[in-house]
Order: sequence, then structure tokens, then C-alpha cells
Amino acid sequence: MKNRFMYQILAVLVLLCLPLVLGRFHVSLLTEIIVFAMFGVSYNLLLGYGNLLSFGHAMFFGLGAYTTAVALNHIAGLNFFAVVALATGTATLVGFLIGFLILRQKGASFALLTLAFNALFNAMAIKFTFITHGDDGLSLTRPEINLGFVTINTSDVVVFYFVTLVILGSAILLSWYFTSTAMGNTIVLMRENEERMKFLGYSTNITRLILFALTGGLAGLAGSFYALFFSFVSVDAISITMTTTVLLITFVGGSGRFAGPILGAFVYIYLQNFLSDITDRWPFFMGLIFIVMVIFVPGGLSKLIEDVFRWVKARWKGTTAEAEGET
Amino acid sequence: MNAFVVFFLHGLTYAGLLFLVSSGLTLVFGMMNVLNFAHATFYMLGAYFSWSLLRMTGNFWLSLVVAPALLFVIGATVERFLLRKVHVLGHVHELLLTFGVAYIITESVKWIWGTRPLAVPITGLLAQSVDLFGITYPTYRLFVFSVSILIGLIMAVALFKTRVGIIIRGAVDDGDMVGALGINVPVLFMAVFGFGAVLSGFAGVIAGPLLTTSPGMADAILVDAFVVIVIGGMGSLGGAVLASLMIGQLQAFGVLLFPKFSLALIYMLMAAVLVVRPSGLFGRQS
Repeated sequence: MKNRFMYQILAVLVLLCLPLVLGRFHVSLLTEIIVFAMFGVSYNLLLGYGNLLSFGHAMFFGLGAYTTAVALNHIAGLNFFAVVALATGTATLVGFLIGFLILRQKGASFALLTLAFNALFNAMAIKFTFITHGDDGLSLTRPEINLGFVTINTSDVVVFYFVTLVILGSAILLSWYFTSTAMGNTIVLMRENEERMKFLGYSTNITRLILFALTGGLAGLAGSFYALFFSFVSVDAISITMTTTVLLITFVGGSGRFAGPILGAFVYIYLQNFLSDITDRWPFFMGLIFIVMVIFVPGGLSKLIEDVFRWVKARWKGTTAEAEGET
Repeated sequence: MNAFVVFFLHGLTYAGLLFLVSSGLTLVFGMMNVLNFAHATFYMLGAYFSWSLLRMTGNFWLSLVVAPALLFVIGATVERFLLRKVHVLGHVHELLLTFGVAYIITESVKWIWGTRPLAVPITGLLAQSVDLFGITYPTYRLFVFSVSILIGLIMAVALFKTRVGIIIRGAVDDGDMVGALGINVPVLFMAVFGFGAVLSGFAGVIAGPLLTTSPGMADAILVDAFVVIVIGGMGSLGGAVLASLMIGQLQAFGVLLFPKFSLALIYMLMAAVLVVRPSGLFGRQS
């Protein structure tokens, strides 16, 4: 446990120091990675921990993004934190409402219903042009952060990176602690044996609803930062493609492991950048990589790394044991 | 009154296409428990194959046979060499795989045929119009609807009156038992998956001259087809017929009456059906 804590502090320190060595382009990419890591972490809580396959996670992400843009455009002098809180709150509330309607369904029906709701929100984003500007999208200016004694201008890439790192980093850490709370354990146990949890007196439906709303809220938070990062929101943010993206991130990284989607976001964003530099047909290769991953590395990269470590460790132990003549 | 008839017929035409696409989807889902996200891309491929075949041969009827045949090969290949490999990993992986396949097909289509919408010309008898109930209506739309009915009837006879049909319906109910009775279930899966691709591709071919052939056409029909199988009940052919008719009419009249909310109407209908019957109109209650 102590070791883990040290790793976390080390990771935070490295992330804090990175802008000193990296150029602005990479700092910007890192910000995007943190945003998508948050999105992936929320999706992983739902899919990997809760075993709820959703095809509509982008609706929360997009809702967060649109709430941010609309609020900033219509309410003058709105506080940075108020915007983010509003976006997260809206997504959580919608998560509760939709979850209440559709969580009676399980498995494929649930997946289809989430897809349908996502399509509904997508249609609304396209059609309700008076508020979303339809296909043209909405642009916004990042608000300043006023902490009382100091005002931070967030328009700079590096400053925004730090803001994102602090806020989303804390949210990701909190999600991590959430997985080891009683509630987090209940969710994992429900995944393993729901009948037994019911017999033990747990209200599995309410737990599932809370999980759905919570992950919705976290996705909304990620969406809010997505809007702030690009200073622009378009229909892309709420499209089915965005759900595919989070699905890819989670699966490439490995679902069910907390670090999976974080690794996935890192690989996805860098790979996308790399591929789109060399070819216009990058989605084709992304699809190809995805299929290869599903067939050959079904547990995702984090499982692969874990297996390799275990294998090396076992070999290492084996050889030292042989050397000591204990076998 | 005339507008009413026109929109009613438009609704029937779309219902026909929707039925062709969703019947394959629902059969594959009922049998293999796989939600095939690539299904609508087969429909799109059908339209593009037909466009190319028309350019090469100029014969629409030929493309109506050759394009679905090509899709059988593609569908069976996807099942045999990709889907079967991940079958042991569970449904989520199978589903993700079809996602990847959809990605690749969509991108390949953009690569080969470009992103511009293509127009499929139609000539001869089908390009004309007929007078019907006091209105002039394009023959082609009537053709689309009649062909869908014809195929629906053939499917019904095949499923309910033949030995293969009994085996398929048995596999939808209990695949393990059918396997235990000595039926080669993997081959059956491959055939049904391929056949689903054929139906979808066929719908694509006849949709080509009607709607625009573009890389976005798969997404456009995919969600509707999913809504159809949710409303109709997963794995039910009769449900697919009824739900297709409902969605077709809703699409047609929704555009006429509430243009801003026509998309939302479908989901409202779906939500209403699910509140009353969570497993769909013809689905088995669990």
C-alpha cells in the first residue's frame, strides 16, 4: 500500500514537471489525454466495475460540454468553478432521470436503450439550433479563475494544463478511492453475484442507479473540460462516435482495471495524432488495431503489461531459486 | 388527402427497407446473442456495390443478385474468421468486434468511393410513375415496398414451413440443444450471419436509387433498425414487421407534422412500448 502511495506522488510530481521539458504541443496533447482519461475512468466504473454496457456515455459527455458552452455564452461573468459544477450537476441529474427509466433493462436491451437516448440527445443537438447552433457548433472563451487573492488567466496552454491536472486529477484520484469504499465494493460484488447481494439485503437497483448517475456526472465533468480545452463544442461531442471513442479507450487500456482507461487515453490520443500525421485514413487503422486488440489482447494493454510483469517475476524467482539450489 | 396518401406510401416504402435490415439483425441477435453493429454497413456496402455494378454493366437486375451474393461472402467471412474467434470471450467482445468491423467498412467505403453522395440512376419501367388513388406515385417506391413484402413472405415460409427454418427457430430458442441433436451449429451461425448480410445488402441495393448513397447512410438506418428490434422484441420476425411499419409511418408523418421533433418521436414510441412491455411487443417476457 505504501509503495502505491509513493507511486502516486511520483506520478503527480512527474505530471507537474512535464511542462518544463515538453513543448506547448505536447502539453496540449497531455491536457487532452487527461480529459479523455477522466471520460474513460467514468466509463470504466460503469462497464468494468458495474458490468453495465452502455452505448450512450457520450450523451453525458456532450451534455457537460454543451452546458458549459451555453452557460458561458448566456450568463455574463460566470465563475469558472460554477460552470464546471453546473455541467457536472446537469449530467448527474440527467443520469438519474435516464437511469431511473432504463435501468430495469439488462445486457443488450440496456445497451440499446442507452444508444437510443444518445441518438435522441444527438438529434436534439443538431435540431435545436436556437440553443446549440446545430452543425456550426458553439465557441466560448475560457473564464478566469478568481481565487479571491489571485486571478488566474486560463487562456494559456500551460496554465490550462495545470488547472486540468489539478481538478480532473483530483476527480480521478477520488474515483480511485471510490472503488475501495463500501459502495465501490458493493458494485464489484454485484457484478460477481447479484443474487447473493440481494439476499444479503443490498438494494442493487439503487446502487446501480447511483453508479449510473455518478459516472454520468464524471463524464459531464470531462465534457466540460473538453469544451473549455477546445474553446468550442460541436455535435461531435455528443455523437455516437464519441461513445465509440470512450469504448476504444477503455478496451485498449483494459476494462476492470482502474489504470486501464488512463493508459488507454494516453495510447489513443498519441496514436490518433501519430496516425493522422501520416495518413488521412487514420480511422481505418484505428479500427484495424481495435480488431487485433479484441482478438489477440482481449484484456487490454494493462492486463498485457501485468502478465508480462508476472511472467518476468516468475522467471526471475525461478532462476534465483535454481541458483540457490533450492529446486 | 392526397398528401396523406403520399406520406402513407412513403412510410410503407421506408418500412420495407427497415424490415429488410432489421430482420437479419433480429435473427442474428436471437441466435447468437450478438448485436451486430456492422449490420448497417452491409446495407451501405450493398448500395455502393450496386452503384459500381451499374456503372460497369448498366443492369440493375444483375446488381440486385450480385451485390447480395458478395455480401454473403463478406458476412460469412466476418463470422468465420473474426466473430468465431472471440466467441469464447463473451458477448461484449463480440459486440466490440462488430464495432471494429463497422469502423473498417465505413472507412474503406470512404476510401474507395469517396465521401461525396452518389446518385444511382434508375431506368426503364421502374423510373416511371403510376396513377394511384388520385395521385401520381413513382413506380420505384412501390417496387421497393412490394419486393420487401415478397422477401418477408419468402422468409416466413422458409422459417415456418421448412426443415432449415425449424432448425433456425430452434437455435434461436436454445442453441445448445440444437447442437446436441447433431446439427452443426457453427456452420448454421455462419450461414445465418451471411444471410443477414444478404438481406441487409439487398435493402442497400434497392435503397440506392431511393435515398442518397453516402458514407452516412449506415448510421442513418442503424439506430432505426435497433429501435425496431427493441420495439418488436429481440429475435422476433413478426415483431420486426410490425415495428418497421410503425417506425416507417412515424418517420413519414413525423417529418410532415413535427419537422423539429420527428427524430425524437421514434424514441418516445420506444420508451412508451418499453414501459408497457419491457421485452418488446413480441419478445419473450423474462
